[in-house]
Amino acid sequence: MKIDRIRWAIRFAGLVLPMTWSPGSLAAQGAAASAFGVAVRTATINQTAPSAVLPTDGTLAQSQANDVRVGTLVAAQDAFATATGATDDALSDAVSSATLGTVSILDGLITADGVVAMASSTIDNSNAEGSSLANLVVNGVQVSDPAPNTRVDLPGVGYVVLNEQIATAGGITVNMIHVVLQQPVLGLLGVITGYSTTGNIVVGSASSSVN
Amino acid sequence: MSNLRSLVGPMVIVAIAVVAWSCETHRTALAPRTGGPLFQFLEFQCAPLKITGGGRIDYPPGGPDKNPPESHTYETFGAHVVASGQTDADGTCVAEQGALEWVDHRPEMEINGHPLNLHATAVTFAEQATDTDCQDGAARWGGKLRVENTGQEDLNFEVWDCDNGEPGAGHDGFAISVPALGYRVVCPDPDLPPTEPSCTLTGGNRQFHPTH
Repeated sequence: MKIDRIRWAIRFAGLVLPMTWSPGSLAAQGAAASAFGVAVRTATINQTAPSAVLPTDGTLAQSQANDVRVGTLVAAQDAFATATGATDDALSDAVSSATLGTVSILDGLITADGVVAMASSTIDNSNAEGSSLANLVVNGVQVSDPAPNTRVDLPGVGYVVLNEQIATAGGITVNMIHVVLQQPVLGLLGVITGYSTTGNIVVGSASSSVN
Repeated sequence: MSNLRSLVGPMVIVAIAVVAWSCETHRTALAPRTGGPLFQFLEFQCAPLKITGGGRIDYPPGGPDKNPPESHTYETFGAHVVASGQTDADGTCVAEQGALEWVDHRPEMEINGHPLNLHATAVTFAEQATDTDCQDGAARWGGKLRVENTGQEDLNFEVWDCDNGEPGAGHDGFAISVPALGYRVVCPDPDLPPTEPSCTLTGGNRQFHPTH
């Protein structure tokens, strides 16, 4: 009789336990997405517009601005920022985009007339497909379809990273135009010993992740 | 004990039957009607669903390759829809919630010097496609929208929404029609993936969530 009870218990466990199992890949996944058109950070300026962040209920957020101006640092038209997605275990997804029309940075040092930053993440994939720059001119030189993380020096100003793509935890951030403002660090006798960063300008940024 | 054991088998069978029954889709015959779906492709059923995400389409032609950026021939959007699979008194498969933000960047579509910008004010219906090449799920859904450039409101719209695997770029699809504007971004080209009227995403992702 005791053996029968043990057998019954084993059969019961064999029936119930598989129902409680879930594979690791189905553990709770969190979707995050955000985008912005223009961001400027200097010692005296801290401005971002327009921007959108995926709400916690996982629906959709959008913001737009027909005109974005930050002194002589940035002027941009028709900026849209969108963040969408949902947290749903293995089906979680996040997509964000920032689009702009005409853009002028540092009083025309860098110009473009169509910027698209797009980031997309699912559980096993993140990419910046769909991102593009139209009629980009940097310091008087036309730059077509720059490869990811293309750096161009800007004498007297710093440098710019074009189509900047940064891997993040479970996702990606793409900054289509990222200007790093620098000033020289002078040593004894006025010799330049290095450069210090004094600010950042980002035009067209999209981030997404699923963790 | 033996009586209890004899009950386990039938109970398991009943439990499996109940679960299987609860997973059965609620099929409903949906006839075209005034103010209803605009796309008349394939077959649809009123079933619970959720589709999320956004992306980019390069239309025309709407294929998997991007147009030259200098042409500004592309559209970007964010969109989601949630439906519980319930019909209203008119037989419309009701959407519980949804949103659509659509921007057409083509110069010829500009209004008042700015890109055409469509914003859904209500998402009213959603039907799941049952006979589709979109491998992870597809639906048509729609409602009312506003043209942000002009303030025109209460315009009927409908989208075709397709999740055709990962990644979304080059696989998933989306299409939109706003009859009152004569505006259509639709790609019924059978040579393009997927073969339904949707245009192929060149960026982003559509994610179908079977909300059982």
